[in-house]
Amino acid sequence: MNPIFMAQWMKEKRSPIMILAFCGLSILATLLFGTGSDSKMQIGVFPAEGAGDTAAEEWLDLLNKGDAVEFVMQDELQAHSEVREGRADAALQLMENDYRIIAAIDNPNVQLVEQQVHTVFVEELQLRAAEAYKKDTSAFRTEVETYLKHPPITVQSQTTEGSQLIKYNMSLQLLFTFTLFLVMFTIGFKINSITMEKVSGIWSRVILSPVRKSEMYMGHLMYSAMIGFAQIAAVFLLFRYAFGFNLGDQFGMLLLIAAMYSMTIVALSMLLTGMVRTPEQFNAVFPSVIPIMPLLSGAYMPPGTITNEFLLTISELFPLKHALDAMIDIAIYNAGWPDVFLSVAKLCMIGVICMGIGINLMERRRV
Amino acid sequence: MLEAMELRKVFKGRTAVDDVSLFLDQGESVGLLGPNGAGKSTTISMISSLLTPNSGDVRLNGVSIVSKPQFIRQVLGVVPQEIALYEELSAYENLKFFGSIYRLKGKQLEAKIQELLEMVGLRDRQKELIKTYSGGMKRRINIAAALLHDPQIVIMDEPTVGIDPQSRNHILETVRLLNREKGTTVLYTSHYMEEVEQLCSRVYIMDHGRIIASGTTEELRRILSGEDTLLLKLDKPNKDLANVLRSLAPIRHVEETDNGLKLIIAKHSSLLSQIVQTAESHQVEIINIHVHTPSLEDVFLHLTGRTLRD
Ligand SMILES: Nc1ncnc2c1ncn2[C@@H]1O[C@H](COP(=O)(O)OP(=O)(O)O)[C@@H](O)[C@H]1O
Ligand SMILES: [Mg+2]
Repeated sequence: MNPIFMAQWMKEKRSPIMILAFCGLSILATLLFGTGSDSKMQIGVFPAEGAGDTAAEEWLDLLNKGDAVEFVMQDELQAHSEVREGRADAALQLMENDYRIIAAIDNPNVQLVEQQVHTVFVEELQLRAAEAYKKDTSAFRTEVETYLKHPPITVQSQTTEGSQLIKYNMSLQLLFTFTLFLVMFTIGFKINSITMEKVSGIWSRVILSPVRKSEMYMGHLMYSAMIGFAQIAAVFLLFRYAFGFNLGDQFGMLLLIAAMYSMTIVALSMLLTGMVRTPEQFNAVFPSVIPIMPLLSGAYMPPGTITNEFLLTISELFPLKHALDAMIDIAIYNAGWPDVFLSVAKLCMIGVICMGIGINLMERRRV
Repeated sequence: MLEAMELRKVFKGRTAVDDVSLFLDQGESVGLLGPNGAGKSTTISMISSLLTPNSGDVRLNGVSIVSKPQFIRQVLGVVPQEIALYEELSAYENLKFFGSIYRLKGKQLEAKIQELLEMVGLRDRQKELIKTYSGGMKRRINIAAALLHDPQIVIMDEPTVGIDPQSRNHILETVRLLNREKGTTVLYTSHYMEEVEQLCSRVYIMDHGRIIASGTTEELRRILSGEDTLLLKLDKPNKDLANVLRSLAPIRHVEETDNGLKLIIAKHSSLLSQIVQTAESHQVEIINIHVHTPSLEDVFLHLTGRTLRD
């Protein structure tokens, strides 16, 4: 085994506090902010002006027969303000024979609500139309219900992109965000030990030995990527088996994305170490730059919240965004490799570019 | 064996090392003496292939190591000025690491580690973490870490800076052992002239990036024109005595000190009985007389007008 790698591992064993602390923080943050939003989505409902309250109540009963979304009567003004302030994804205005969805953004949850409401209305209005030709309306309803238990055709609703409409899982997104965010610190601080070894003179000692420079970098880079990956994997495993989170059916794929992400963050850290002069500078700059990434790319908010073109363009530069996109697609939408190809490709490209520039900067700075 | 020729290094327009030439013969122990900032570390870095000179060359047995650094790296051990060790690991683990980068392993490595720990006197504390060590103990491990691969040439950059006397003695003893018993060629850098005088047969004195004097310690002392310094300790001060002594021909300089007089006299002049008689005639008792032979410190003072520790 590469002695450089081994030395890093020995140091880690001596003081594993940092990595344990970041694992703990990932777990804590997810449990703190991620759970609770996992309960049924609540959508405020209010009758339109002129529409009768009883008609609205009837629709409400029908709507609540589905189980993904919970519809509750609400005051119109309050429903509007909750949507405006982002506390609710959408609100629903009921008319006699029609409805309107009020939403500030277009995210998978809004699509889900839209789909459910649409189905209920179409079915019910068709039934009512058919009822008009029957004498015994309740017998007719029972007949239809029995018939629909074994329908001749089944219809599946899909989003415009073609994926099945599935309830969005915000706590899973937060789990990914916190884990991917905090692992940046672990990896960054590990990469910083290269500069620390250069300052302390250890690097020069190894340069004088038969160990090649490429082996020296490899030892450090592999170690940092490995420890970062181990941190992500540990948190995911814990959530899957200890907290019973549903991480989808493709856990292996998730881990692969985690491995690629770790390597990209190694590259990003190399770029940042290459740009500063001392390890102390890195310790000051790195923790102030990193938190911007999840914020700007909207990783803490439901997808679709950020609409600003500028922010969207900027977040394309952040590895976190692409890894998060891929992980969400895999875990929530059961996506395959072709579906996440673009995210993975961008992730790898950022990695290659950062590493190239980073190593160059680092080597040039040494006179 | 190892030869530096007209080395020059410029950092951002400032010349740190200027036209430095020096050589080491096999088995020699050579000192590089100079105050802080003289350019010693920079010179050493160039000799050990860590830094490329702006001009000049370093040759090992005639082969330029500027273009073939691996040629010197195999036979070289460098003790850096800073403590280049993993603070979080024990002394034993550090030595194991620095041995493994030289492809040493197994019993051979283990035996070498124990031999070196014995040599620097820290065998019984090898399991303790470096960060819990005193400065002197760290320095001793810092030296041991450079010796695991039995280098033929050892370069030490101020290995005794800021340490306790016990550690210092250990280190000086180690260097002597390496050089006299193992035949290792040593280049020893310091700004303590006593150490260099004790350990080295030849000395280069450096200041402001240049070699200002070189030779054996004897040769260097002879730079000081044949003069001796006499320190007289008297029972009481006496102005007349100083004036009378000043008028004696071989005495070049008389200076009153706290408890007596300092005289600078021409070498080999037998003035002692004359001085004693003169003192008696002034009813002054001489408590003792100390003949002070010039040290490298005095040589440096003579050459630069400053002391080494300025
Ligand atoms: N990497 C460097 N960059 C800029 N200046 C340097 C560098 N290394 C040394 N110097 C300068 O070169 C001079 C000689 O330094 P050094 O060789 O460390 O002296 P010494 O070891 O004798 O104390 C000093 O003025 C120092 O500031
Ligand atoms: Mg120095």
